[in-house]
Order: sequence, then structure tokens, then C-alpha cells
Amino acid sequence: MRQDTGISRRQFLQGSAAAAGTFALGGLSANLAFGKGSDAFKVGLIGCGGRGTGAAADCLAAAAELKVDLNIVALADAFADRVKGAKDRFKVADARCFTGLDAYRKLIATDVNLVILATPPGFRPLHFAEAVEAGKNVFMEKPVAVDPTGVRSVIETSALADEKKLGVVAGTQRRHQAAYIETIKRIHDGMIGEIVSAQCYWNQGGLWVHKRGPNESDVAWQIRNWLYFVWLSGDHIVEQHVHNLDVINWAVNAMPERVVAMGGRQARTAPEFGNIYDHFCVEFVYPKECRTISMCRQIDGADNRVSERVAGTKGVSDCCGTIKDHKDNVLWKYEGENPNPYVVEHKDLLSSIRDGKPLNEGKRIAESTMCAVMGRISAYAGREFATEWAMKKCGLDLFPKDLKMDGQLPVEPVARPGVTKLEDLKEPPKRKKGK
Amino acid sequence: MAEQARNKKTDAGKPAALAATAAAVGSAVNLAFAQGSDKIKVGLIGCGGRGTGAVRNCMEADPGVEVIAVADLFEKQARGAKAGLERDGKFKDRTKIPDDHVFWGFDACKKLLATQVQVVLQAEPPGFRPRHFKAAIEAGKHVFFEKPVAVDPAGARIVLEAARLADQKKLNVVCGTQRRHEFSRVELMKRIHDGAMGELIGGQCYWLGGGIWYKMPDQGTTEFDWQCHNWYHFCWLSGDQICEQHIHNIDVMNWCFQGPPKNFLGIGGRVCRDYSSQAKQVSKLFNDGDESKWEKYNGDIWDHIGTELEYPNGARVLSMGGHGGAGRGGERLVGTKGFSDCAGSITGENAWRYSGPHPNGMVQEHADLLKSIREGKPLNEGVRIAESTLTAIGGRMSAYTGRAFSWNWLLKESKLDLWPGEDKLKSGPGIFYPIPSGHDPLV
Repeated sequence: MRQDTGISRRQFLQGSAAAAGTFALGGLSANLAFGKGSDAFKVGLIGCGGRGTGAAADCLAAAAELKVDLNIVALADAFADRVKGAKDRFKVADARCFTGLDAYRKLIATDVNLVILATPPGFRPLHFAEAVEAGKNVFMEKPVAVDPTGVRSVIETSALADEKKLGVVAGTQRRHQAAYIETIKRIHDGMIGEIVSAQCYWNQGGLWVHKRGPNESDVAWQIRNWLYFVWLSGDHIVEQHVHNLDVINWAVNAMPERVVAMGGRQARTAPEFGNIYDHFCVEFVYPKECRTISMCRQIDGADNRVSERVAGTKGVSDCCGTIKDHKDNVLWKYEGENPNPYVVEHKDLLSSIRDGKPLNEGKRIAESTMCAVMGRISAYAGREFATEWAMKKCGLDLFPKDLKMDGQLPVEPVARPGVTKLEDLKEPPKRKKGK
Repeated sequence: MAEQARNKKTDAGKPAALAATAAAVGSAVNLAFAQGSDKIKVGLIGCGGRGTGAVRNCMEADPGVEVIAVADLFEKQARGAKAGLERDGKFKDRTKIPDDHVFWGFDACKKLLATQVQVVLQAEPPGFRPRHFKAAIEAGKHVFFEKPVAVDPAGARIVLEAARLADQKKLNVVCGTQRRHEFSRVELMKRIHDGAMGELIGGQCYWLGGGIWYKMPDQGTTEFDWQCHNWYHFCWLSGDQICEQHIHNIDVMNWCFQGPPKNFLGIGGRVCRDYSSQAKQVSKLFNDGDESKWEKYNGDIWDHIGTELEYPNGARVLSMGGHGGAGRGGERLVGTKGFSDCAGSITGENAWRYSGPHPNGMVQEHADLLKSIREGKPLNEGVRIAESTLTAIGGRMSAYTGRAFSWNWLLKESKLDLWPGEDKLKSGPGIFYPIPSGHDPLV
């Protein structure tokens, strides 16, 4: 794992901020006009893969339910074929379809007032920063970063979004799912007492893989096959398990204070699977010594389990509809409707902007992303550390310098405890062998 | 052994001799018994570091103990154990091992059981333990055996059956999970079981440590002999780290919950355990200079396993065992009324801290065994340690296969049996399995 201090991205951001300064003012005034409900939503989609086009469709469905005027008016993707697929589906004019690694910047320079960020997560901090600088409201998929440098960037950008009164919602749809919302409300009201233990899991089989084409450059192949490269996806604990970690943060209403993790790459070892692990087991220690189990796995043929659970002094909950006491008696059960949370999250964003009270989930999703990043870093390096270290001192920045689509980019070796070092974390005392 | 170092530390820095005095005082009641002809004859099976350590712990625990026989797979080990004890100023007077009571080879255990020994100390690699234990009980011996007591469900069932036979024969059985004999923990568990922490709803246990030894073959050693010397690296001999080492902590959790878990979910792998440079040398030695077969000499165990143990009351406990990653040890219990370190204190509504003496648990476990033998009050930990061993085996199996399963399935239906069979036990080719994949078939 590289330990660069991340000057490249920082400089990149500063440069772009200056360039985008004029747009920022324009964006601000545009958003105020929304508040009066007089303007249509003009949506730009950055990242036209399956999740991106899915999110755009969910956004359209949300607008229809809200009866607000909304159109997908611009598209951006690193790859032309991806843009073309979305163009045909959403009927976007050629002039507003952008391709290449700088496509996002061209899209942001148009008059869109809401952007959907659905590129591989490694790009998210950069795209989010430029979108907010330019005064765009944002819907962004999870996770929102792959390293602490990116997390800090997203937190800064979120503060800027607050100043600019921009709406920011993240694709952790459980936060917009009625059964979760009603359950967590009761947990916060004390129905299970003080939370003293929790568990969350995302154990499943494998996902799609894109084998390298004959003429694909290192960079192009890695971006196509982004799930399997840490600099792009953050590893599956970040890319996928962040959903469950976010729920535990929500239920406990805090960030963990410490992390110790283990993980490895046992079954999914072929080169097309890049350099990520296939399993993690993490302990997060929340305030008041509340310790949680987090497990995630992507191994074909292994058992599935995707869920959360919190145990308090008075009862337990699955966080999504059921609360029981410690004798297994049901204390409360959610029996209301469960509208599609992938649409609700967009409705919540759109209506908050329309009503002039923009939601801003940026800091929260950055923190949940950080939990997942910490779990990964702890497992890779075989080290326990405090959240404060990761938040304030860990300089890990995985974003490649001078990224070019036809460029070379050797695959970083798979992390190994003992080999993978955290240079700016003090060495622990020597351990003894035992009986 | 670090385990002993750890105990010395809990003795608040007292030298081991002081701790030993405390243990002797503890068994003062029995001294009357020990006088006259009341000697207890002890034999050792497995003459490695832990075995000779256990003999010393046993002699320290009771002045009537005499060691009269030793057995090991290897002549050098068996002779070395005898010589070492005879040189030990503290114990040489009670080391009475005639030359014809030094046994080696695959039938060494059988020969030792045919002597006048009354108590057998078993410290051979865990893969051999179930069958040796069964033989010892059938031969009418009391047993102290090291943990773990098996490496697979088939072996655990052998131990369970033999432990029940020990009950019938009124034989005493104690296991080297010394935490069960530490006064602070014994007092703590009484309180936990009396409800001081309310309902138990969670817990954690950890043994995350450094790497392990790797031994090069001696001149003329066969592959099988070398493998037995390097037993920790092979699952059929050690049961992997979760079973061989982390069982201590898992056993404490079972103690808290007064029985084994009902469900298992494990995850793990091998990401940093690497002995390739030595393994290549070994490959050359055993294959006429060919180093390409090195992988099997790299061992087949993993370096980390994380398991969720779900106990019958629904509590979910995290177990983490590993080598080479983060460092962590100990146990922790969560109840509706407080927390416990599982070592000697409770925080919360019924806060409590143990303040009595801390005799060395690794001596006390022998003191408790010998006392029960002298007083004719049966102490049989066989079923309990077989269950704790099977708990660790279950965690490992769940991780190796990626499958979740129940205790009942594990105990009654799993057909996993790593024992190679008596006919394969001979100085010759080793017995090698591939490194588990994380989605191995569940049997």
C-alpha cells in the first residue's frame, strides 16, 4: 500500500477550485431560485454504469412522484460505450454527452443544477469537490472515498455545501427506508436501553469481473474492472459493507473510537481480481466500550448473511423492523409501508431542495466511509489504531499521480500484515509467543 | 513459555517460587495423605517443552509426586526429558525413571501405560491426543492432558466417550486450560453465574500474537518425523491456531455461558504466514535437491480466523485468533448490568474486584487433580474440555468452508476425521493436505 502524502490530488483540487470559482457563484444563485420552486431540476449523471443509470431512473421516478419538473440533461463517463447506453435511455443531446477522464468537469461546466455521482469511489472526493465548488446539488453513491485523504476532502466539501445551501444525499438507502427509520427512532428513544453490543455482516458470493481486453491500457482496464483495485473501490469492505457499518453508526449515534481487523484473500486469487481481499472480520469499539463485530466476505459457495443487529441493556433489534426483549418477546414490530428506498432517497433530496431546506448527508457518509476504510487499513497492516489517528494523521492517499486513460499503472501488490506498513503510526511493542 | 510469563505477571511480579509456596499451602490439607507410602507415580507422554513443563508443574503442586516414566515419538526427546529432570536441582530427587521406563516410537504410549504409573500427563501433539486419552482411561490411569484434546469432531467424540468411561471408572481427568483453576476467575464466574451481570448478551475473546517456530530436519530424519516435530504447522496435528492456542479464550467464553455455543459463523485465511525460505531448504533435503515441492513444507494452517459464536440465549460473541497481525489477548463479557474482563473484575451495577491470592494456574490445575485423586472426590473435566475443543474446531471448520452451522450438527453429524489411520503412522512419507480455500466442502 502506498503511503504518499497526497500532494497530487490536493494540488489538483486547488487548481480546479480556482477554475471553478465563477461557476460557484452562479450555482449559488441558481439554487436559491429552486427554493422558490420556479425552476426545473436539470440533472447531470457522472458515471453511466449500472448504478449510475439506476440512480438516474430512481431520480426520475422520485420527481414523478413529487410532481416536480426534472430531466436528465447531461451525461459523463470515462468510456464512450457507457455514455452511449445512457444517452439512448435518457434521450440526452449529443452536445451534452461527455467522455474521458475529464468528462465530469465538462458536465459540471454546463447549466445542470443537480449531479448524480456514480463513478468508481476513488474519483468521488474529486468529483464531489468540483461539483460543490460549482454550486451543484449532489446525489452521490456510496462509498464516498477510498482513503483518509479522500474522507477529509469530502468532509471539507460538505461544510462548503452547507455554506452554499446545497443539497447532498448519499446512496446509503437504508437511511431513507421506513422500517429502518422507525426502528432506529425507537432505539434512540431507549426501547432497547443502552447499546452495549452490535453486529453487522455482508457475506455473499462473488460479483462481476471484467477480464482485460487485448488493447486495454492498465488504466482503462482497472477503471472497467474497478471493483478489484483498492484505489478505485476501496476493497469490498468499503464498497459494499459500508451500508451495514453506516447502520451501526446510526443506531449507536457515534463513530467508533478504535478498530482492530483481520482479513485476507483466500479464494479469489486470480489476477483479474486485482489486489483486494475477499474477507474481513473487524472489531469496532464505540464509545463506552461498546464493541461490535463486522464481517464481510465475497466468496462463491460460502453462506450469505447481510444484516445488522444491536443489543442493548433492555433488548435487541435487527434495526429494520423488529425490537425484542432478552427473552425473545417482540416488543415492537414495524407494520407500515415500505416504499422503495432507492426512490425515497431521491425524493428526500429533491423535496429538501425544493423547500429551501437542503439535506446534507456529506459528513455523515464520509464518516461511515471512514469506518470501512479503517477496517481495511487495520486488516492490511495487521494493526490496531484509534479513529483519531486515522482521521487526523493517516496520510494514505491512493489516487494515482498523472492519471491518463492510456497510461501505465502497475497493480499494487496485495496487502500483507507485516509487509504493509503504516509509516506514520508508531510501532507496537514486541509480542511474545505463547503456550 | 509466554503463558507462564503471563501467570507470573498476574502474581503481581512475585517470583515463581513464591507462587509455588502458595500452591503448596493450598494443598496443605492433603499433606497427611501424602505422607508414608502415599507417593503418586506419574508418567509423561510427549516430552517437548510443554510436556516437561507440565511434569515440573505437577511436582511443584504436590510433594508426593514422583515421575517414573517418559514416552515420546522420538528417542532423543524421551532421553532428553529424563536427563533434564535428573539435572534439575529442584526435582531430581523425585525423578525416578529407570532406563527401561524411557519409551519412544509409535507404541511408546502403550508401553508407558503398561507400567505402574497412576497419573498420565499427556502433552503430545493434539492430533494424537484423543486415542492416547482413550487408551489411558481404558488402562485405568488418571489423566492430566494438555489442550486442545482433539483436532476434529471424530476425535472430540472419542474424548467425550472416554471421559464418560472415566466417570464410570472413578478416574480423575484435568485439562491444561489453567484459567479454570485460577482463583480470581473461579470467584468471578461464581458471581457471573449468580447473576451479578444480569443477562449475558455479548462478549469478545482474542489471541492475536506473533508467529511460531519452524524446525529444520535433523540429518537422517524422515518427512513424517519432521512433520511431527513441526506439528503446529499441520491441521491434522495441531487443529490450527484457533484450536491449539485460542481455545484458552474460547473455553473462558463457554465457561461464562455454561456450555458451548449453538451456532457458528467463521471467516479467515492465510495472508502473511510464510516460511517459504525454510520450506525450500526442506524441500531440497527431502527431494534430492529439488526445491519446487516447497509448498507442502510451508504448512497448511491459516494465520487468522474470526468467528461469531452464538450462544443458546442469543448472545453473539466475537472470537479472533491469529498470528502475525495485530496483537491482542484476553476475554470480555457483556451483560445487561455490566461488563467483565473475565479475569477478576466486574464493572457496572454490581461492581466487584477479586483481591485474594493468585497462585499459578499452571501449578494449581495439577494441585486440584492430585487433591481429587487423594481425597477420592472425582474431578473430571473431560466432557467440558472436549466441548470447548469442539467449539474451537467448529470455528475453524466454519471459516475453512465459509459455512454457518449449528452445534448439534457439528457434534452429531459432522464426519470430519483428520486421523490418517494407524497404518500411515510410520517413519516415512509425511501426511499433507492442501491449504484450505475458504469454501472447502463441509463434511
